[in-house]
Amino acid sequence: MRTFEGYRRANGSIGVRNHIIVINTVGELAGFTNKLAGLVPGVIPVVHQAGQAQYSEDSDQTIKTLVGTAGHANVSAALFLGMGSKDPAEGIVETLKKDGHHVHSIIFDKDKSITECLKEGKAWLESALERSKREKTEKADISELIIGLECGGSDAWSGITANPSIGALSDLIVEDGGTSILAETTEAVGAEHILANRAVNQEVGNRFLEIVKRYEQRAKAVGEDIKAANPSPGNKTGGLTTLEEKSLGCIKKGGNSTLMEVIDYAHKPREKGFVFMDTPGYDVESVVGLVAGGAQIVLFSTGKGSPTGSPIAPVIKIGTNPKLYENMPEHIDVNAGKIIDQNYTIDQIGEEIYTKIIQVANGEITASEKYKNHEFSIWRLAETQ
Amino acid sequence: MNYSYEGFKRDDGTAGTRNYVGIVSSVICSSAVVREISEKVSGSIPVVHANGCAQLGDDLKLTKNMLVGMASNPNIYSALLVGLGCETNQVSGLLKQIPKTKPIKGIGIQQLAGGTNTVQKGISIAEVWAEEAMEQERTKLPLSSLTVGILNVDADHDTLTKTGPVIGEVVNRLVENDANVIIGLSKTLEPAGHLLSERIIDVTEKEKIISSSKRLYRLRWKDPTRETTNDNEYTERQTNQAVLESEMTGSVPINSILDYGETPKENGLHLMNISSNLVESLSKMASSGCNIVLVVSKRGVLTGSIALPCMTVTPQSNKGSFDELIDYTIKGSNVHQESERIVEGLLEVCSGKQTQVEKLELGEFSIPHLGTTY
Repeated sequence: MRTFEGYRRANGSIGVRNHIIVINTVGELAGFTNKLAGLVPGVIPVVHQAGQAQYSEDSDQTIKTLVGTAGHANVSAALFLGMGSKDPAEGIVETLKKDGHHVHSIIFDKDKSITECLKEGKAWLESALERSKREKTEKADISELIIGLECGGSDAWSGITANPSIGALSDLIVEDGGTSILAETTEAVGAEHILANRAVNQEVGNRFLEIVKRYEQRAKAVGEDIKAANPSPGNKTGGLTTLEEKSLGCIKKGGNSTLMEVIDYAHKPREKGFVFMDTPGYDVESVVGLVAGGAQIVLFSTGKGSPTGSPIAPVIKIGTNPKLYENMPEHIDVNAGKIIDQNYTIDQIGEEIYTKIIQVANGEITASEKYKNHEFSIWRLAETQ
Repeated sequence: MNYSYEGFKRDDGTAGTRNYVGIVSSVICSSAVVREISEKVSGSIPVVHANGCAQLGDDLKLTKNMLVGMASNPNIYSALLVGLGCETNQVSGLLKQIPKTKPIKGIGIQQLAGGTNTVQKGISIAEVWAEEAMEQERTKLPLSSLTVGILNVDADHDTLTKTGPVIGEVVNRLVENDANVIIGLSKTLEPAGHLLSERIIDVTEKEKIISSSKRLYRLRWKDPTRETTNDNEYTERQTNQAVLESEMTGSVPINSILDYGETPKENGLHLMNISSNLVESLSKMASSGCNIVLVVSKRGVLTGSIALPCMTVTPQSNKGSFDELIDYTIKGSNVHQESERIVEGLLEVCSGKQTQVEKLELGEFSIPHLGTTY
């Protein structure tokens, strides 16, 4: 059985990183969040523009995502910045503390000066950083890993090389007792019947068909064709012609395992094995949902070359073709293009990805971590009030 | 009184109160590269946001329009657009849409084979512009070259009583001196639509504001066509407060209601549909050509626009506020005197005096969504 060295958290979960983050609850504090992170080297800012004047469907999703992000196993400590008396920061911190997380909130309000708030924040982050250095790793089993499966900047090779290799890896992880989460509901359009047929029972299959249909209807209701945004201009120059073609390639990341469960955006899987999360095809928002749902590592196939990552989870980039690897090696961690020009098999690349996952779980830095690609954005459902 | 300020004259007749080199990302995927370029070129600002891909229809159109508007903003000396390559919102499309009145260039990460090359290329382009911008000097300019945004953030009854008449007088004074003024029309002011419509001459513009005055019309997940019945009609209390807030718009005629990153066609007073998200609203004002914003708040605000100086005005209050972030406190009760001082203070900021939020470098940018991503 394969193992890795991780950080055991008070709630029993296991992290592959030991990050200290500062995170805002409202968009108005994005500037201060960046500023505060800048005062303590090593601290990662997690900033967004959500949380203000949102309808309930969005504010619920925002809070769910923030809780999942700050309470993630890869996070050693999190500082929340909030504002005013009705801010959710204190409530979120209470919830996370009950689960054993090292968290704190600072509410910018009239009884404290800005200078005091910054001083308090800096001091807390410095002590959290010291505390994190004393935390030791321990051996953990692969069955404790949740792997997110994502693609971005797909081309015609995605469905032939990188995605099937990720699928092979996903099957290996599932066999070893771990969890893999496929996402991007819009990129299942046209291929939904295949995944639905692999569902563990009819209820899960129907739920999957329902979320795909719901997304299609959502686009139709505003007079748009979902196929106009997907494939994107880059997908088309990469050789993809239709959304159905893209989708058939996209779902290959899910391998051949049984679909155990369909979960909402940023929700944690209850089942082990192969799971689907309802997210948009917008890769950054999808990765944010996967990570908030507990994925410690994300696999991300790319044909055109996309540098994006996550503030808290290592994202492993799988290049789909040899030319991409030749042009942009700095953004690629695994070259699945070897299937095309070096006679590698899909299973061999699947194995190579598995080895890479273990190395990354043990601390090896990925391309997106090296270039500090900390993109973070929460899937929006409604207009701001 | 004969008003003027010292600004940067632009070829298209507008003028900057600041002279930044704008580094603009077309999509979230290039935001890290944009930040890095901007960090290494002094005098440049990063215009980053979370949008640019997997968008459709009006939502995509708004993103495009706002980025075109930002690149065209008079406070931006020149703009470098940085894309990824495969995104829905293509740099080539933006380049076609941006008026050619200033230096504009576009680069892409995939086209330049990676982030490292793109950062290097971006720095080499932006450095040249930054030097040119440094050499440009401020000249004396009339108020007709100013577009002042006015944003009311968190008004309650007490605040409005103190600030409304003063800001109203500021608006009148600015418009009478040929400045352009754009006031945010948010859900707190919307219920006063009927009253405000009396000052609008154009029939279509009149109807726009009346139709939005009954209740909140916004796109919802389950009702994405803006005909939501989930929101109740505005209450009498909300309407009364809106009427009080409408004092802030002064008494001059209202020319138009702006939406979707539209820019005013002629100088005068305009209202702009905005949300109650501060950064989204400031960004919308920046992309509609404002070169300064007057923020009216009871407590002060914790952020500003990345491209515009935001002068914060509060009423005097014993309830406390973020003192370190306030630029002007209304202390006296003489409306004429207070408004005169605010206009003077505003022109000092236009001429280069830093606002408190600028000193702390808290400027941000964000593009709202009209509905969801795909």
